[in-house]
Amino acid sequence: VCRTKSANPHNAEIEDNDFAEFEDFEDDEHADTAQTDKAAPSPKPDHPKIVMAPEADIDPDQADDEDEDDDGLVEIEGDEFDHFQDDEEFEGFDREKSSKVKGQEKPPDLKITPVPAYLQNNWESFYLEMLMLAGLAVYFINFLAGKSKNNTLSTAWFNVHRSLLDEHFAFVGDDGTSQEMQSGVLVKESENIYTLWCSGRVCCEGMLVTLKLLKRQDLVSTLARMFRPASDQVIIKVMLESAEIDTFVMCLANKKVIGKLQKEMVDLNYFCPEKRKLDDRIPPTFQLLSEISEASTAVIDTKVITALNQFENLIEYIHISDQYCGPRIQDEAQPSKMPETTKIMMFCFNVPGKGQCSPKDMEAMKPLMMMVFHCLEKVRKIRLSREAKTKADKNRQRLAESYSKASHVQRSEAAQERREKKRRAEKERMMAEDDPDRQRKLEEKTLKKEQKKKQPKVKMMKIKAM
Amino acid sequence: MSTPNSSSDPRRPGKVHRYTRPSVGGLVDDPTAEYMNLFGMIFSMCGLMLKLKWCAWAAVYCAFISFANARSSDDTKQMLSSFMLSVSAVFMSYLQNPQPMMLPW
Repeated sequence: VCRTKSANPHNAEIEDNDFAEFEDFEDDEHADTAQTDKAAPSPKPDHPKIVMAPEADIDPDQADDEDEDDDGLVEIEGDEFDHFQDDEEFEGFDREKSSKVKGQEKPPDLKITPVPAYLQNNWESFYLEMLMLAGLAVYFINFLAGKSKNNTLSTAWFNVHRSLLDEHFAFVGDDGTSQEMQSGVLVKESENIYTLWCSGRVCCEGMLVTLKLLKRQDLVSTLARMFRPASDQVIIKVMLESAEIDTFVMCLANKKVIGKLQKEMVDLNYFCPEKRKLDDRIPPTFQLLSEISEASTAVIDTKVITALNQFENLIEYIHISDQYCGPRIQDEAQPSKMPETTKIMMFCFNVPGKGQCSPKDMEAMKPLMMMVFHCLEKVRKIRLSREAKTKADKNRQRLAESYSKASHVQRSEAAQERREKKRRAEKERMMAEDDPDRQRKLEEKTLKKEQKKKQPKVKMMKIKAM
Repeated sequence: MSTPNSSSDPRRPGKVHRYTRPSVGGLVDDPTAEYMNLFGMIFSMCGLMLKLKWCAWAAVYCAFISFANARSSDDTKQMLSSFMLSVSAVFMSYLQNPQPMMLPW
């Protein structure tokens, strides 16, 4: 938009000979305004004779306040406003005069001051942001890839084992949420954890299989795994019925894991403090924690030994226990209440391939599931001998006693504290009492109460003695 | 004791138990999602309050990582709120001064 009004009040100071222009401009304007007055009465009758030029120099704000007559002011818009071009549109507009005035104006010489580098807003300087966005994109692509890889692995495992599980369980794969029990559902706990619940078999309430796959969907753990290789795991937890297992606790585990297990698991920590000697046919990578050696030798028979030799690096641990109550909760110093125990058999297998596995590797895990069912049948048949039975019962009783003692101690401490608090409150009330005689009365009352408390005990003793 | 007919069919449709999902963490309890969520919140607060752009970007990354590690039982509102907070932190810090990011070192 350039305004044809020649001496724009804003940049008046740029030109030095302002007034020269106004003289000739003023005469024409004067003539024009005079003309317009005659031709058409100007909208505001109270200003018949308008002198344009002098007011042009007054302060622009002031100019706005005055109701200046801007008939002569014509704005030439860009080309898309064609209707401005034809002259008839405007009264008193004289084309030759306006173009002549525009020509004279000297273009102001603008010096471009050099802007310092960091203030320049071009896209190259945003390279860090590009890096960040690229990182997010890579993370997202890896997320999708990892998610689908985990999905194919879990469905592959399920398809391989489905037939075997159907032979052993009436229902395979219940998600627990819908009303009636349906089957064939592999529950997705998270992107890398899938669970499968099977139920309806003799001697066991159910079996929970947890596919603990690697976090392929998380780029951070994928990178971390490059330094510390890990492998996918299948954790099978069989909930046994109470009548089906005798009272013993044992755990056969890989050397690397056995220490952690013994520290974490409450039952292992209490019932099997020391390691037992293992059959020499079993590879040295395994170690045994067992409460009653007779039971563990019965479980680890020839079939299990062959499986141990054949799948040495696939079997992580086999944990059979009738006092299982999960890992120890760190914050509780000494749990007063006896934790409720369940009878379980837990197996943890690694998927072959150390992380780089494919659906084909799942086929190799089928014999391991057969071993699970073999152990299940074996444990059902185990009956402890009398002395083993008494030893086991003694252990359990000692445990029960230690818990009840602990809770008794805690209860007595709590009672002690309550009594303490009551006495302190009473003393405070006495101290707070302002007039002395009521205070003396209170003291006498508490003294009498204490004596009375001591007194009767002695008397009762005498009666019993007679 | 029922006769040990292991050779015949061991299935007992009558003795079926429904799957009760273990309430407390259960076997696999993975705290990374919660930690990342917490870090995300802290970073986006720093990004907003102290106008540090790299904090805001770190918040976005934390939100992404907590999303990847989220359990299906977690509620999506928590995830969405951490995403919104971190994205708004980035947006506000660039709106406030559109200079490119300066790394803290």
